[in-house]
Amino acid sequence: MKITITEDQSQILHFLHKGQGPFTISEVSEKTGVDQAHVMGFLTFAKEKGWILLEERPKEEIVPSPEAAEHLLKGVPERQMLPLLAKEPSLPMKKVASEAKDLGIPVNEIIKWGSLRGWIEKKKGDLSITKAGREGIERKDDDERALELAIAHKVTYLDELSRHGIDSERVKKLLNNRSSLAKIKPRIIRFVHLTQEGRNALNEVKVKKERNVLSSEDITSGEWRSVELRSYDVTLEAEKAYPAKIHPLQKILQQTRRAFLEMGFTEIVSPQVESAFWDFDALFQPQDHPARDMQDTFYLKHPVEAKLPHADIVEKVKQTHENGWETGSTGWGYQWSQERARHLVLRTHTTASTIRALAEDPNPPRKVFCVGRVYRNEAISYKHLPEFHQVDGIIIDEESSLATLLGTLTVFYQKMGFEKVKFKPDFFPYTEPSAEVSVWMPQREGWIELGGCGIYRPEVTHPFGCRFPVMAWGLGLERLAMLRYGFHDIRELYWSDLDNIKEVALCQ
Amino acid sequence: MPVVAISVNRINSLLGQSYDIKKLVTTMQQLGCDVEDTVRISLYTCTFCNAPLEKLEKEDPPKRCDFCGNESETPFPHFSTDNAIRIDLLADRPDLFDPGGLARALKGYLGLAEGLSEYPVKGASVEVEVNPSLLQPESYRPFIVCAVVNMPVLDHNGLREIMKLQENLHWGIGRDRKLASIGVYDMAAITPPIRYRSVDPVGFSFTPLGMPGKSMSPRQILEEHPKGVAYAHLLSNLKAYPLLIDSKDQVLSMPPIINSEETKVSIGSQKLFIDVTGLTRDAVTKSLDTLVCSLAELGGEVEAVKIKHPEAEQTTPDLNPRAIIIQYKEAKKWLGLDFTEEECMGYLRKMRLSVTHKGDDAYEVHYPAFRTDVRHEVDIFEDLAIGYGYANIPTRLVPSMTVGKARGEELLSHTVREIMIGLGFTEIMSLNLMSEERHFQKFRLAPDDSGVVVANPKTIEQAVIRGHMMTGIMETFHKNRRKATPQKIFELGNVIRFNPKKETCTEENRHAAFAIIGPETGYAEGRAVLDSILREIGRCGTYHPAHHPSFCEGRCAHVTGENDLWAILGELHPEVLNNFGLAYPVTLCELRLMGVI
Repeated sequence: MKITITEDQSQILHFLHKGQGPFTISEVSEKTGVDQAHVMGFLTFAKEKGWILLEERPKEEIVPSPEAAEHLLKGVPERQMLPLLAKEPSLPMKKVASEAKDLGIPVNEIIKWGSLRGWIEKKKGDLSITKAGREGIERKDDDERALELAIAHKVTYLDELSRHGIDSERVKKLLNNRSSLAKIKPRIIRFVHLTQEGRNALNEVKVKKERNVLSSEDITSGEWRSVELRSYDVTLEAEKAYPAKIHPLQKILQQTRRAFLEMGFTEIVSPQVESAFWDFDALFQPQDHPARDMQDTFYLKHPVEAKLPHADIVEKVKQTHENGWETGSTGWGYQWSQERARHLVLRTHTTASTIRALAEDPNPPRKVFCVGRVYRNEAISYKHLPEFHQVDGIIIDEESSLATLLGTLTVFYQKMGFEKVKFKPDFFPYTEPSAEVSVWMPQREGWIELGGCGIYRPEVTHPFGCRFPVMAWGLGLERLAMLRYGFHDIRELYWSDLDNIKEVALCQ
Repeated sequence: MPVVAISVNRINSLLGQSYDIKKLVTTMQQLGCDVEDTVRISLYTCTFCNAPLEKLEKEDPPKRCDFCGNESETPFPHFSTDNAIRIDLLADRPDLFDPGGLARALKGYLGLAEGLSEYPVKGASVEVEVNPSLLQPESYRPFIVCAVVNMPVLDHNGLREIMKLQENLHWGIGRDRKLASIGVYDMAAITPPIRYRSVDPVGFSFTPLGMPGKSMSPRQILEEHPKGVAYAHLLSNLKAYPLLIDSKDQVLSMPPIINSEETKVSIGSQKLFIDVTGLTRDAVTKSLDTLVCSLAELGGEVEAVKIKHPEAEQTTPDLNPRAIIIQYKEAKKWLGLDFTEEECMGYLRKMRLSVTHKGDDAYEVHYPAFRTDVRHEVDIFEDLAIGYGYANIPTRLVPSMTVGKARGEELLSHTVREIMIGLGFTEIMSLNLMSEERHFQKFRLAPDDSGVVVANPKTIEQAVIRGHMMTGIMETFHKNRRKATPQKIFELGNVIRFNPKKETCTEENRHAAFAIIGPETGYAEGRAVLDSILREIGRCGTYHPAHHPSFCEGRCAHVTGENDLWAILGELHPEVLNNFGLAYPVTLCELRLMGVI
């Protein structure tokens, strides 16, 4: 069976065959234009096949220092001193020192390297130039020439200097321990030799075409059969891509709706611009209750008043507030005002929806819920917004009770992903008994309060003809969203930073 | 909501026990207290009025007194440190505001006591005469109730508890002194009978609390004294101010503003005179009963006061227990719990109520006077449930089968959301309330009668409710203006407009809005998206050229069709882009999906 290689690989074999080897690996890469990693990959394969031999040779590389070029240009220190020395038979060391100082070069370097080169001699505290020194003025020394080569070429090895008529032994002697000019570093260099098998293989292998991308023609013509797709490093990271997606808070709202729909609830709505009658009075909230203050509730300038429901209903609510009517209650004992009930407000809770639903049809069994926006007259801060979302629900049932209320909410929160739900007594004006719901957040290792619930007082239900206990609850949804997504500022939910929305994974 | 720190040592000494803090916290929660956390607190003394002040141990010592309002240059002196449980007060349960009230409830829940706590009231020896002027509009503050309480000699803690409870009752019942305000005085400084009358703002003076040696007229107090400045608004409609003064013309207080310096309660006081004045009978009675019963729990002996109104006499406080009949079977049904009649009576007694069988299902429950929240047997059912323990309630679902049903606008919104996300649009959400400028002017629109306008916004940012959805879209672009374009976003929501035919004079419609910002976007791109939405939701629209101030002339369409179809589509006017600091064109469309209200 023929061995198949790629076009690149074939090119490498041909290069080795034609050229005056052996070649180093970087030479092969440079001359063939094939990426060095791919060259290495193929050579490993070729070596196994016996097509090539890899010979390792120790070499010594001249690595010029970053300042080497500047030194050569100005002349090494001992070279700078030569013209001066050439003028006199000898100079006192003192004079040499002061001249060196003027030139800005260290005098000890002049002595050390000038002596080593054989350019100068020191006798009784006087310095004089030698014959070699005089010749040296006009002629570059071996190490200087070697350095020029090393700076001009990328890589220069000591053993290659003889080609240029340079004495490599002298270079080594002069550059060793002179790191201001260069370092001589030992290297292992691998050379590629093409073997006879390799030469034979040139005629035997099958060469496959390579592509980065298959063209439509490659695919339809069947050309793809003789084409090899270049492989990728599939472990590399890719650019990030995000789907367009639902808003994180909206996801909570939809999840909430789905949970109640799955539990057999009918979805309801009611106006966001609501009458005080349905927002407060129908819920037996006395007209002087602090929640009705301008401080807490948005009232409207336009329009101002709502129409009240049927006079019969209004009368029963009035009586209930004033004296308890037939509910068995004492009522609040004040004079109820129709005018105040007519005021339009931005609904302060979605409980206005559920009480409307109750008034519309008080007969069991009924399960309704409403997810909607509610408003409180609060200044904007990281914790509070003047508008937010709630889910309210009621169950009218012959079996309605505190026990079934707590059971219903436990199931709801389990559907929302909270395994542990607990209740503690709380106090609300229109439910009795009332409870506060908390869920366990494992990430926070704590209980988080999420809303209130209770059984509507008879003063709430009787005026609408409902004689069964009605379970009711109102739960905030923004807090749930913030906890789930780790937002610390409620405003992040409404001042949409598109990057934040992208980052919230759909599974969250 | 105010937060109070309840000292653990104090509670244990009132209970005669040494419960650990955890046990107390759990029990308080079972009773319905909103426990915030447990802390170390430090106590300090005001150098002006001697009131004890409380701070967290880690906080700086106070320089300003909460009681007399005075401010010192150097911090007040420290006198002790304590472990405490901090609770958020619930306005509905003022009987659980202070150590005395909490101890009463805890004793029952922990099995240290049961049944009604009775508070005997001794006959009246002090009289208060009420001047008819208090019923007149010029100096209206008609209701007054009083009591005398003989306390064990007051120490720092006792004084602090009384003052804190007074302050918290002002919040919980008194509506910040408006409906009811409480005065507590050292009886030793008072010579009965006491007169409740009105006084002119000038031409009369006394020394207000916290300013010894400085006699001030009522008007001066309202203008200069810290508490006067803080509460002057409560008297702003009056021409003459309420005043309590004794038979020797010693002023007790000017309700609801400030007491006098001479009659103030301090460490070592023993016999206290208490008055509550206010605007509703319910608030003053509840304040007095709650305060007096808590003092009785702290060891006080209560003495009545005779209030002589112009036409009637009344003796306060009336601490006789009130009675209500409950039905045993109704209670079981309401709560969905199964308990025997014996157990039922046990739970009630545990909640510090007394109960007697009245035949058949009926039980008569006696509850303390301060429990004015009891209006119906269901109020007693709540106590029963707390006595049973919320944590012990076996929860279940109602057995009846019902079929769920979603709203049409939600189903349609869901479809549109799928379309938009499929087309690569990211959903945003924005607020409904905004300033007129953001809703109208920035879009080159003028406010008109179709809008819904808020009467009392805290800031102009909540002045109107949205009648279109363009603001949220454009503000989102503004917020993301430094990010890569194109950006494609959409929002689904209700817009609200004036409609006098509707019950609440407004109509609500579900709208969808989408927009694209980027150098390449234009009308054609928007049109393609809108066409695709309409096709997917099975609607059909006719495009008409439209002139809309927010859009470029000649690049805006108004879309109509069957079933009230309405949409506006176009390239936004460059001035609108400038108004939102945007550097690229925006194609925007707003579509009415369906009516909601």
